Amino acid sequence: MSLKNSVWVKDGDRKEWNRLILSVASGKGGTGKTSVAASMAKSLGYCQFIDYDVEAPNAHFFLKPDIKNEEVVKIKQPYFLSGTGADFSRCAEFCHYNAVAYVNGKVVFFPDLCHGCGGCLLVGPQGSVREKDVVVGKVMKGKAEPGIDFLMGELIPGNLRTISIQNKLEGYINRDDTVIIDCPPGTSCPMVAAVKNSDYCILVTEPTPFGLNDLEISLEVLKNLNIPHGVIINRDGIGDNAVEDFCSERDISILEKIPNDLKIAEAYSEGKTMIEIMEQWKERFLRVVEKIEKKAG
Amino acid sequence: MKQITIISGKGGTGKTTLASSFIRLADEHIAVDCDVDAANLHILLSPRVEKKDDFIGGEVAVVDDNCISCGRCEDMCRFGAIKDSTSHIFIDPIMCEGCGVCSEICPADAIELRSEKQGEFYISQTDMCPMVHARLDPGAENSGLLVARIRNIAEDMAVENNKKVIIIDGAPGIGCPVIASLNGVDYALIVTEPTLSGISDFKKAHELTRFFNIEAFACINKADINEKNSALIKDYCHDSGMLLVGEIPYDEQVPKALSKREFITDLPHSRAGEKIVEIWDVLRDRLYPGAGNNST
Repeated sequence: MSLKNSVWVKDGDRKEWNRLILSVASGKGGTGKTSVAASMAKSLGYCQFIDYDVEAPNAHFFLKPDIKNEEVVKIKQPYFLSGTGADFSRCAEFCHYNAVAYVNGKVVFFPDLCHGCGGCLLVGPQGSVREKDVVVGKVMKGKAEPGIDFLMGELIPGNLRTISIQNKLEGYINRDDTVIIDCPPGTSCPMVAAVKNSDYCILVTEPTPFGLNDLEISLEVLKNLNIPHGVIINRDGIGDNAVEDFCSERDISILEKIPNDLKIAEAYSEGKTMIEIMEQWKERFLRVVEKIEKKAG
Repeated sequence: MKQITIISGKGGTGKTTLASSFIRLADEHIAVDCDVDAANLHILLSPRVEKKDDFIGGEVAVVDDNCISCGRCEDMCRFGAIKDSTSHIFIDPIMCEGCGVCSEICPADAIELRSEKQGEFYISQTDMCPMVHARLDPGAENSGLLVARIRNIAEDMAVENNKKVIIIDGAPGIGCPVIASLNGVDYALIVTEPTLSGISDFKKAHELTRFFNIEAFACINKADINEKNSALIKDYCHDSGMLLVGEIPYDEQVPKALSKREFITDLPHSRAGEKIVEIWDVLRDRLYPGAGNNST
């Protein structure tokens, strides 16, 4: 690959890396995804960073972007002109999400359940079903130091349309840059949406039975999607060795181990990444990227 | 019968640690794990499965050979799930939300909706109480539907067996599974930590409980990691009229106990365990109205 990003590590030591889309995920929440993703972005210096956890976005606390513009995310939802005496029974029959009910000639709409598919418009009485835009959240863009293109999304609480915000973010992935995607926790659709475009996924876990359980489920997702992956063990030392044993049995590479250190937790609580308090970790995160390059090709 | 859901917004703040402790301390109750895609409660409660069933989730569009490559479905799909519909059509099962629009408008009748098994759910017995839990297939959708399903089962069981309380361990975030785990409950306990991330997600979770009109309590875990941020959370609780049920100190024994599958409230000298017992006393007064303070 001729297109490369590079950063000065120390005087006279310039590091280069290929442009890849790296996602940072975990099954269990709170294992350190955002810490790792943000530290990695800061170590690289030049990249695009996308916070895909639109239900609980937190990376901005660490990267402190200067948000330059905001864009609302809308979906279409129907409204029903019921004064016309029109029959909306087909809408209620059709809706796969039970968002429309038609009882005794009255239409009842449950906006919380609506996915905005437009089905009721299609099957309902001509002209009596209309649509309006409903705001479900927003996407924000900005710059973070030193050369990070920052993107995040935010879902409005009470809303089910996590995926609509993520789809909007997806449209902004810049394949001409190195991209770091901070994923939401879990192993269901929001996590899949976040990892599916990546060339490599880093799974951050903790050495406890919880961490291991959720790691196993996340690995299945990545195998189904055919995404190369490796593991970073965070808070190494708090629990047992089961995660390490599991990885060596399955031949899953452990890219790095981050020690359990109250200093890191305290820094985290104030929006500081570990590379700000432990300079040597910048080099270590760059080495992780090098390892990944070799694997992901 | 009363129901309480434990949520947090941010993951890893201690939902399951607290839920499992309450389940340990409660009586006449049922436990439900609503974090169906990364379930952890079973690791601590060691349930013996008595009944299991398939979860047939939502539908996904599937196309057959009758496709005439007209492209209409791709134009109509609002979820970007259909590609190359004028040559070799591909319907992406990840993007498809099973709305049925494509199948409705297909002039060749080539698309149908199929529902598939997307997980399993279980009715189990533990040393403390019955437990309803589930496992969503890795990467599957419809976690909200599965949560609703297992909660219905738990509610039926509670009515049938005259149980007084349902304790629900929620999922992180504020999306479908969390909303389904809050639907119709009496109380929510929001577990937070004194970090900028924790505070931000705590407020979002609180906004969610307000949206659904559910009385919420707050609890700060690892409260001494950042006293300044803990004070901010306390101010927020005060200003918004939310009851702060307790502050749990950072305690290295917690992950150690969890790794050994021990309950933190069983340890004799755990600082965190003692606090959790105090928190449970506050919650118990709400969950068992009229029972007085002398139960257990």
